[in-house]
Amino acid sequence: MSESVYGLIARFDTPEAVVEATRRAREAGYKKMEAYSPFPIEELTEVLDFKPKIQYLVLIGGILGAITGFALQYYASVIAYPLIIGGRPFNSWPAFIVVEFELTILFAGLAAVFGMLGLNGFPHPYHPVFNAKDFNLVSRDKFFLVIESNDPRFDRDRTRAFLESLHPEEVTEVHP
Amino acid sequence: MAASTDSAEVPVLGPGQTYATVTDRISGVILTKETPRGWWIGFGIAFMVMMLMLFSLTVLFAKGVGVWGLDNTVAWGFAIVNFVWWVGIGHAGTLISAILLLFRQEWRNSINRFAEAMTIFAVANAGLFPIIHTGRPWLAYWLLPYPSMFQLWPQFRSPLLWDVFAISTYVTISLLFWYVGLIPDFATLRDMADNKVVRRIYGVFALGWRGAARHWAQYSRASLLLAALATPLVVSVHSVVSFDFAVSSVPGWHTTFLPPYFVSGAIFSGFAMVLTLAIPIRKYFHMEDFITDRHLENMAKVMLATGLIVFYAYIMEVFFAWYSGNQYEQFMIYNRMTGPYAPYYWSLILANGVIPQLLWFKRVRRTPWILFIIAIIVNIGMWLERFIIVVTSLHREYLPSTWTYYAGTFWDWSLYIGTLGFFFALIFLFLRVLPMINMFEMKELVHHLSHRGKEH
Amino acid sequence: MTRIQADEKLLKRLGSYQKASLIVGVLGILVLIAGYFLGAEDFFPGYLIGWMFWMQVALGALVILMIQNTVGGRWGLIIQRVVEAATMTIPLLGVLFIVVIIGIPHLYEWSHAEVVAHDELLQHKAPYLNTPFFIIRSVIYFVLWGGIAWLLRKWSVKLDEHPDDAATRKKLRNLSAPGILLFGFTVTFASVDWMMSLEPHWYSTIYGMMFGVGALASGFAFSIVVLMGMVKYKPWSGIIQTLDVSDLGNWLLAAVMLWAYMAFSQFLIIWSANLPEETTWYIARTTGGWQWVAIINVFLHFFLPFFLLLSRGTKKEPGRLKKVAWLVLIMRFVDLVWMIYPAFSPGKLAFPWVSLAALIGVGGLFLAIFFHQVAKVSVPPLYDSRLPVTQASEEAHGHVS
Repeated sequence: MSESVYGLIARFDTPEAVVEATRRAREAGYKKMEAYSPFPIEELTEVLDFKPKIQYLVLIGGILGAITGFALQYYASVIAYPLIIGGRPFNSWPAFIVVEFELTILFAGLAAVFGMLGLNGFPHPYHPVFNAKDFNLVSRDKFFLVIESNDPRFDRDRTRAFLESLHPEEVTEVHP
Repeated sequence: MAASTDSAEVPVLGPGQTYATVTDRISGVILTKETPRGWWIGFGIAFMVMMLMLFSLTVLFAKGVGVWGLDNTVAWGFAIVNFVWWVGIGHAGTLISAILLLFRQEWRNSINRFAEAMTIFAVANAGLFPIIHTGRPWLAYWLLPYPSMFQLWPQFRSPLLWDVFAISTYVTISLLFWYVGLIPDFATLRDMADNKVVRRIYGVFALGWRGAARHWAQYSRASLLLAALATPLVVSVHSVVSFDFAVSSVPGWHTTFLPPYFVSGAIFSGFAMVLTLAIPIRKYFHMEDFITDRHLENMAKVMLATGLIVFYAYIMEVFFAWYSGNQYEQFMIYNRMTGPYAPYYWSLILANGVIPQLLWFKRVRRTPWILFIIAIIVNIGMWLERFIIVVTSLHREYLPSTWTYYAGTFWDWSLYIGTLGFFFALIFLFLRVLPMINMFEMKELVHHLSHRGKEH
Repeated sequence: MTRIQADEKLLKRLGSYQKASLIVGVLGILVLIAGYFLGAEDFFPGYLIGWMFWMQVALGALVILMIQNTVGGRWGLIIQRVVEAATMTIPLLGVLFIVVIIGIPHLYEWSHAEVVAHDELLQHKAPYLNTPFFIIRSVIYFVLWGGIAWLLRKWSVKLDEHPDDAATRKKLRNLSAPGILLFGFTVTFASVDWMMSLEPHWYSTIYGMMFGVGALASGFAFSIVVLMGMVKYKPWSGIIQTLDVSDLGNWLLAAVMLWAYMAFSQFLIIWSANLPEETTWYIARTTGGWQWVAIINVFLHFFLPFFLLLSRGTKKEPGRLKKVAWLVLIMRFVDLVWMIYPAFSPGKLAFPWVSLAALIGVGGLFLAIFFHQVAKVSVPPLYDSRLPVTQASEEAHGHVS
């Protein structure tokens, strides 16, 4: 190889085309690939056989929030600063439910946001795919499929020919 | 096949829109060097009114809460009224985004972004009041539970402390929800901007978003989960606000249906404010293709539904005051209807109970300028409602020797009007620097609509 | 226009259910009559609980129907005929209400002149809480609910024959939207009359809403149980998609959450204010064994269905959703026992066995009418393009006459 490449990128005009292309690439045995689109396309997730895991993080966050909420209030009101207020018991659990609930939501929400960012590897300021020709249209109206060079089946010419056979608008190389 | 339902008559998107036109049209408002003159005028006015707020705050900090109209009897006045009013307005945004996302309502797509922005700006205003009404706002951190040198801990049986947690959770989650929704649009702005500095700035906020399918999958799932969390959160926030009143033993405050009543009122006022903003904005920026008459009509319907719940509450309040056989409850209603604040009470019934009944008529829901007027009336009515609840119950307390008459002073009013300036100044800034409509969701909508067209 | 009958197997099954319900119902009623004449303890409170259970299922169905006609989507079209059939039992429930009228002296303290004479508060409430006005109000409720249900059913069936009849379509909507408002008021007053006034000194402003939301949950749970039982049969097998199942699951989830929200709000507000005239209601229901019912109610009426319905797995699988709906229905009954019976046995756990006989007797008759009504008309409504019934059932079956 004269010059290293990150992969080959094919540009498509419609979401249907990129879904079809991704399916064909999977069928052809390619593994290291990624599709890019201006909006979420459910079929792409299915074709890539990708299962998001974020919900487990959110569940853990929620449980932690609930425990923190109750522990905080119990500690403050029963252990650290027991004070009779309005004749209510130190452990006024009905009143504690509110803050417990809020903290459950807060922790679960933080887990959802930062979990999503973390699982996606953000912030990620540099990525080879940004070097691809016309890739700035991915956030406007174009759809892309990248087959990465570290795929075992990757071959510059054969993979290019394969991508050309999927009726893209254009196939170019992506340099790292 | 049978005739289509009439909900399909008016589309949620104007004809002929494609992925490219949607992107260009919405981002075009921001990525231009020319700021429209109308924007400068509007922002200028709002900014000047905001200065009134800063001036009023300065006076308040220098002299103390004595500049307000409060006294020992009516210890909660404008500050709480404004707090509840602003929090209420801050309910529509997250509600539109969250509940309508869960129920897959397509008409949310073009209004959710600025409704969320409105939410955050309104809650920012709301958060101001409880802090400044303590008199020594620089000690506001005492509200937080932390191991202090006084060895004191906050009192977790008090709804005022619940408020601290509810409002700060709400601000955090709303802000994150809003930001998460903006990430792909920041990427669009980064990719579309000609100016290098602008591209950099949007690029930083985009965090390197590149539209990868796996990213979208995590992203969509996270958004859905956030929506599922935000929905009960919205309901809880105004319920907690209502607990501030309901867990006391003051007549007119202590009533068990206050939480759902407050939540409905909040949604009512929130949608009224969305309409107040959406109608002029879509006209000025020619966004009729995105914010169609269908959107306005649906929001009007939500207003009608929540307005009816509020109206139900007004009627049940009277019935149960009588049914309770409690003389204090009965006097409270009697005093509202005939006492010194009777004109306020009846204006409130007119504004929130009677005038919104016009929304039963389709023609009213389809006429933007009438909707606009009704929305403003409801905004005023909801402020009056909070005023009535706070003031009429307090100024005739259990002890007749303390009875008094309360009215806002110049500094009460200047601060309230000033926060309106702050709110609108933020709205104007938002319109100039952020996409007012969610671009990627609109493209998703184009995609879905084109699919549906093929099936039939 | 085509008329989609249920498939023979389903029709047969509905028919046998109808027959079985009728037999069980008649037997239940006979047991009730025997119980009455043998002087069963707490006959009327028990009857009120059993009758109330089916009443709130019918009321839930009515409000779901009106919501569906106003804003409904696919989920609403799918359960439309089920809830329509359930609302057709309102006249029957009205007739069975006569037993409650007979029982007024046994049920309601305020109906006794000598009690009222020594009670200032009851004297104050007497213009509202008196026997004639109580009966008049109940008659008004039944006329309104039954009338609305009858009209909505009539127009909906008519649309099957003439799907392009825009005027009837409009009528459905124009009655349903104000109907929901009317429902809100009537259900509030009905719950005050029938249940809250069992303890006439006590009041809570959220009571009516809480009852209405409980009814909504019952309506959804009942419809889900019925519908998920039919999902295997044509034409439903060709129509119901996973998305519809999960939509119905979400509605049940929303109703359960709303109920819990209101129940908790009432509890927290009364607990925090701690006023003696209000806490009595909770003291009667959280002492002497009733606290266990309350705890079970919290966990099985809210937490368990909540967590089960939160998971996508439950909402994809008709069988699992059906089980959760059963749980909610059973807990609705437990909740009614907890709401009603401590008025007669405050702070002392007891179970009125008559309520089971009433549940079965009233329920049998209710279900007999219900199954008859389900089988009577086209099972899915035919007139709405959002439910592509014709293609789906033709593909699946071809049983189109």
